[in-house]
Amino acid sequence: MKIFSESHKTVFVVDHCPYMAESCRQHVEFDMLVKNRTQGIIPLAPISKSLWTCSVESSMEYCRIMYDIFPFRKLVNFIVSDSGAHVLNSWTQEDQNLQELMAALAAVGPPNPRADPECCSILHGLVAAVETLCKITEYQHEARTLLMENAERVGNRGRIICITNAKSDSHVRMLEDCVQETIHEHNKLAANSDHLMQIQKCELVLIHTYPVGEDSLVSDRPKKELSPVLTSEVHSVRAGRHLATKLNILVQQHFDLASTTITNIPMKEEQHANTSANYDVELLHHKDAHVDFLKSGDTHLGGSSREGSFKETITLKWCTPRTNNIELHYCTGAYRISPVDVNSRPSSCLTNFLLNDPRYKIDGSLEIPLERAKDQLEKHTRYWPMIISQTTIFNMQAVVPLASVIVKESLTEEDVLNCQKTIYNLVDMERKNDPLPISTVGTRGKGPKRDEQYRIMWNELETLVRAHINNSEKHQRVLECLMACRSKPPEEEERKKRGRKREDKEDKSEKTVKDYEQEKSWQDSERLKGILERGKEELAEAEIIKDSPDSPEPPNKKPLVEMDDTPPVEKSKGPVSLLSFWSNRINTANSRKHQEFAGRLNSVNNRAELYQHLKEENGMETTENGKASRQ
Amino acid sequence: MPTVVVMDVSLSMTRPVSLEGSEEYQRKHLAAHGLTMLFEHMATNYKLEFTALVVFSSLWELMVPFTRDYNTLQEALSNMDDYDKTCLESALVGVCNIVQQEWGGAIPCQVVLVTDGCLGIGRGSLRHSLATHSQRSENNRFPLPFPFPSKLYIMCMANLEELQSTDSLDCLERLIDLNNGEGQIFTIDGPLCLKNVQSMFGKLIDLAYTPFHAVLKCGHLTADVQVFPRPEPFVVDEEIDPVPKVINTDLEIVGFIDIADISSPPVLSRHLVLPIALNKGDEVGTGITDDNEDENSANQIAGKIPNFCVLLHGSLKVEGMVAIVQLGPEWHGMLYSQADSKKKSNLMMSLFEPGPEPLPWLGKMAQLGPISDAKENPYGEDDNKSPFPLQPKNKRSYAQNVTVWIKPSGLQTDVQKILRNARKLPEKTQTFYKELNRLRKAALAFGFLDLLKGVADMLERECTLLPDTAHPDAAFQLTHAAQQLKLASTGTSEYAGYDHNITPLQTDFSGSSTERM
Repeated sequence: MKIFSESHKTVFVVDHCPYMAESCRQHVEFDMLVKNRTQGIIPLAPISKSLWTCSVESSMEYCRIMYDIFPFRKLVNFIVSDSGAHVLNSWTQEDQNLQELMAALAAVGPPNPRADPECCSILHGLVAAVETLCKITEYQHEARTLLMENAERVGNRGRIICITNAKSDSHVRMLEDCVQETIHEHNKLAANSDHLMQIQKCELVLIHTYPVGEDSLVSDRPKKELSPVLTSEVHSVRAGRHLATKLNILVQQHFDLASTTITNIPMKEEQHANTSANYDVELLHHKDAHVDFLKSGDTHLGGSSREGSFKETITLKWCTPRTNNIELHYCTGAYRISPVDVNSRPSSCLTNFLLNDPRYKIDGSLEIPLERAKDQLEKHTRYWPMIISQTTIFNMQAVVPLASVIVKESLTEEDVLNCQKTIYNLVDMERKNDPLPISTVGTRGKGPKRDEQYRIMWNELETLVRAHINNSEKHQRVLECLMACRSKPPEEEERKKRGRKREDKEDKSEKTVKDYEQEKSWQDSERLKGILERGKEELAEAEIIKDSPDSPEPPNKKPLVEMDDTPPVEKSKGPVSLLSFWSNRINTANSRKHQEFAGRLNSVNNRAELYQHLKEENGMETTENGKASRQ
Repeated sequence: MPTVVVMDVSLSMTRPVSLEGSEEYQRKHLAAHGLTMLFEHMATNYKLEFTALVVFSSLWELMVPFTRDYNTLQEALSNMDDYDKTCLESALVGVCNIVQQEWGGAIPCQVVLVTDGCLGIGRGSLRHSLATHSQRSENNRFPLPFPFPSKLYIMCMANLEELQSTDSLDCLERLIDLNNGEGQIFTIDGPLCLKNVQSMFGKLIDLAYTPFHAVLKCGHLTADVQVFPRPEPFVVDEEIDPVPKVINTDLEIVGFIDIADISSPPVLSRHLVLPIALNKGDEVGTGITDDNEDENSANQIAGKIPNFCVLLHGSLKVEGMVAIVQLGPEWHGMLYSQADSKKKSNLMMSLFEPGPEPLPWLGKMAQLGPISDAKENPYGEDDNKSPFPLQPKNKRSYAQNVTVWIKPSGLQTDVQKILRNARKLPEKTQTFYKELNRLRKAALAFGFLDLLKGVADMLERECTLLPDTAHPDAAFQLTHAAQQLKLASTGTSEYAGYDHNITPLQTDFSGSSTERM
C-alpha cells in the first residue's frame, strides 16, 4: 500500500465556459402524474440538463463515492474554469465533504451563455490544477515532519480530471502540452520552496463531453506516457447519463473499487405494510474485500450489474443478523461501502437498518488518554491475589467499601470516612468474634483459630492499604486508622507468635503480596533454564538456612516500619520450593544490576525506617535499629 | 501456520555422498537426517502445528496427511522408496490441492521442498515448466504463486558450486520469484555431510520456526507466554515506511472493552497465547481449559502456580470482554477467549492493523480511557447504553440524505415528495418546505435552474387544482413557494443563496396549525 499514490490528490477541472450552458439533449420527465388524479391534465414539458449540470452532478457522484469509502487521506480540489480559474476548496480535511463543494458550486452558478467565449478557456483551470498539485497537503506535511531526514520518501503524485468540450484532437493535444509545460515550470518553482512539492507523477484524465445526438469531434485515446511525469488519457463521452456512467467507472478504476450486490433483502412494502418483498442493493467498496473470494475460486459472479454492461459484481445473499452480538467472529477485513444508487428505496432501507444501531451514541470522543487507563491498571493490580483461597479480605463483603476506593488515585473525605467505617466495622466483628471466610483447603483439622484468623485478615488488609499509601495523604490516613485499630498489646502478639506455629496460609498471602518482582524473576528464571543445575546445588544450602533456629524472626512489628524485604525463604516455615529458592537467587542477581533503592541501602537487616519525619514531627524518638551507627 | 514437506524421491536422490572412510550415505539419507531434526524441533516447540509429508518423482503421493503426530512423520521418512525422475510442477500442483482442501485459501502455509537440485529431464522437468510458463492458459496455470499466503523454502541436498555448475540455481530462484519472492533457497555449506546438513536445517529453523516468546503484562500481573503461530512482520506503507514492523515481546494490556463494542473487528492475524509451563516440553501448548484446568495440570508444578493467563482468560470469558493490548508504538491488538468446542476455550490474540485508529468506531486508541475518568458513566447506571460506535464527524453520503439526480427516478421521487406534501397542506407545511428546500439547494448547486422553474409551474398548477374543501392556507403556501422558486431560478445572488431557506408564509387563519420553521 502507498498512502501518497496518485489517488491522494485529485483535481477536478470543470469547464464553465458559455457553451457548457448548452442542453445535453436528454430529457427528464419530472411531472409524473400520480394515479387517481384529475383527468385531462397535460403534464408539464420535460426539461433537460445542461452540459454543465451533467458535468457537475457526475463529478459530485465521483466525490460522494470516494468520500464514503475514503473519508480520510484521499483529497479533492475542485476548480471551475471560465475567464479565470475559480478554486472552490483546499486540500485541508475540513474542506473535504460534499456539502462544502455543493455550496461552493451554488455560489458559482451555471455558466453564463451570453459571456464572451473568447475570454473563456479551460486552460486557466488546468494551470491552476498543476499549481494546486504542488501544494502540500496536511497529510504530506505530517508525514514529512515525522520522517525527518527521510522526508524525501513522501511522494507527490496526483490526478487531474478535466471535463470540457474540446474542439478537436489537436485542441486536446494543445491542452496536454499546456499541462506538461506548466508542470515543468512549477516543478522548478517548487524545487526552491519549502511549502511546495515537485510533482513526481501526474495522471491527466481528459473527458470531452458533448450533447447527445451530436458527433464527437474528439477521439478516445488510452493512457499514454507524455513524459516521465505526465500520462494522459482522453475519453469522449456523450453528456447526460453516459457521462455519469463514465465517471462511475473511473472512480472504481482510480480507487481500486469493486462491486458487491446484496440480494434477497426482505423489505416491507410501502403500499402494503404487512407484506415484504425481496430487493437487491449494489454496493461499492475497495476490491480487497473480494480477494479471498477470488482466491477460493468461488467467485459468485452474478452477471453484470443493472447499470449495464461494464463491470462485474459479486452477489451475496442477505442474512438477517441475530440480535445478540456478543460473539466475536473471525474477521479478516472490514471495508467502507458506498451504495451505487444512494437514494433508491432499497439502498436507503439497507443503510438505515445498518445505521439504526439500537445502542446509544455520543457525539465526539472521550477525551481520555490511554495512559490513564494503564495507570489505573497499575494501581488495581498492586495487590491482587490470584487464588480465592489465598485471600480473606476479598471474600468479605464487609471489606468491599474500603477495597473499592483504596485503589483510586485520590480519595474524597467521604471515601476516607467510608474506609474508616469499614475498619471500625471489622473491629466490631472481631469483638463479636464473627467467623471469617478463611479457606481451610489444604490444612488439616478446622484450620486456624478465630483470633489467628483475624490476625491474617488484618495483615492482608494492611498489605492492601500499604500498597497505596503513596497515592495521597488521605490514603495515609486510612492506613493510620487501620494501624490504630488493629494494634494489640505487644506482649500478646509475642506470646501468640511463640505459642503457635505460624500459619502457612499467612505466608502465602503475604508472599503473593510481597513483590511482583518475584513472579517476574521466576519468569526470567525460565529463560535461564540452562543454569538451573547450578541452582540445585545451592538448594541444599537453602534448606539448612530454612531449618536453622537462627533464621531471624522479625523484631517487634512496629507501625510504619514494616517494610519487610526479607526473602520468603527465610520466612517460610514450610518446605522451600525450588521456585522460591530460585526466585531469591534471581532477585539477588538482579538487584546487582540496578541501582539499589535508597531505602534498602540505608537499611539494617533489610529493614529501613520509613516516614521518619512523621515521627520527628510527632516528637517521637526513632527507635529503629541503629541507623546512626551506619552513618 | 501449517507446513507441507515436499520430498524428492527420484533416483538422483540415491546418489552417494563421497565421504572419506565412514559408511556410505546417499543424498536422501542426508535429507531424512535434516527433516528429522526439523520434526524434532517442531515436536518440542510447535506441538500444535500441523505438518504433511508429500513425496514426488514423476508422480506425487501424500505420504502423511496433515498431522500433529511427529512420530508418524518420522516413521514415514524411513519408509520411503526410490522412484524415477523429478517432476516438480506436478508435485507443486499436488501441494496446492492438499493445502486448499485442508485449509482453504486464507491460511498461510509454509512449503519445505527438499531436493538435490536435479530438476528432471524432458516434459515435466522444471526447465520445461519454466520455458512454457508464458504460454499457460487459465486451466493449466503454473502452481506458483500458491493460491494461499505461503513461504516456499527450498532445501538443496547440494552445495552452491554444484548447483551453479548447471542452471539449477537459476531455475530454483525463478521458482521463488514466481511465488512473489516469498521464500528462500538453502544450500549446503561445504562438503555434503551430516553436520553441514544440520547447520542448513538449523538456518531454516532460525528463519521460519523459532517460537515467539513474550511477557504478557497487566499492571503488576505478568505471565510468560508463547504466541503461536509467530506473528509476522507487517509493512504499513511500502513507500514512506518500508521497514516491516514487528510486535513487542512485552505485551502490555492497556484496558478492557465489551465484545459488543469492539464487535468482530478486522484483524491481520490471530494467535494462540500459551502460558509457558515450567516443565518445558510437557504439555506446552495445551490450551487453557475451562473448568478442568486443575485436573489437566494437577500433576505439574506449573499447574500449582497461579498463572495470570488463567485469570485473564477466565475473566474475559465470564465478563464477555476483550483486553486491548499494546503491540508496539501505535499498534494494538486484542486478547479474548475463543471457544474451541463446548468444553474447551483458548486465550487468543488478534493483531489490528498498525495505526492510531485501527477501528474507526472506537475512535483513536489513545483517546480510550477508564470509565471512572468520564464525568458520567458512558455506559449508564444500568449498563444499558454504550459510547460506541462513535459517530463520524462527517456523515457518509448514505446517512445524510444527499441528493442525486443522475437517474431520472431520483429526480422524480424528490419532485413527487414535494407534490405529495403539497396536497396535504397545511398539515404537512413543515415537510413540504423541508423537501422544497432540499430540492432548491441541489438545483442551485448543479446549476439546474430550469428545474426550479418547472417545479414552480407545477406548484401553481396544483394551486388551481385544489378542491373546494381545501384549507385556504394551502393556496397561499403554494403560491408563495412557487414565487420563491421562480425568484431562485433567476440565479441572482439575492434570491439564489445556497444557505437561504424558503420559509412558510406567515398567515393568520384562526385554528391554523402553521408554525414558524
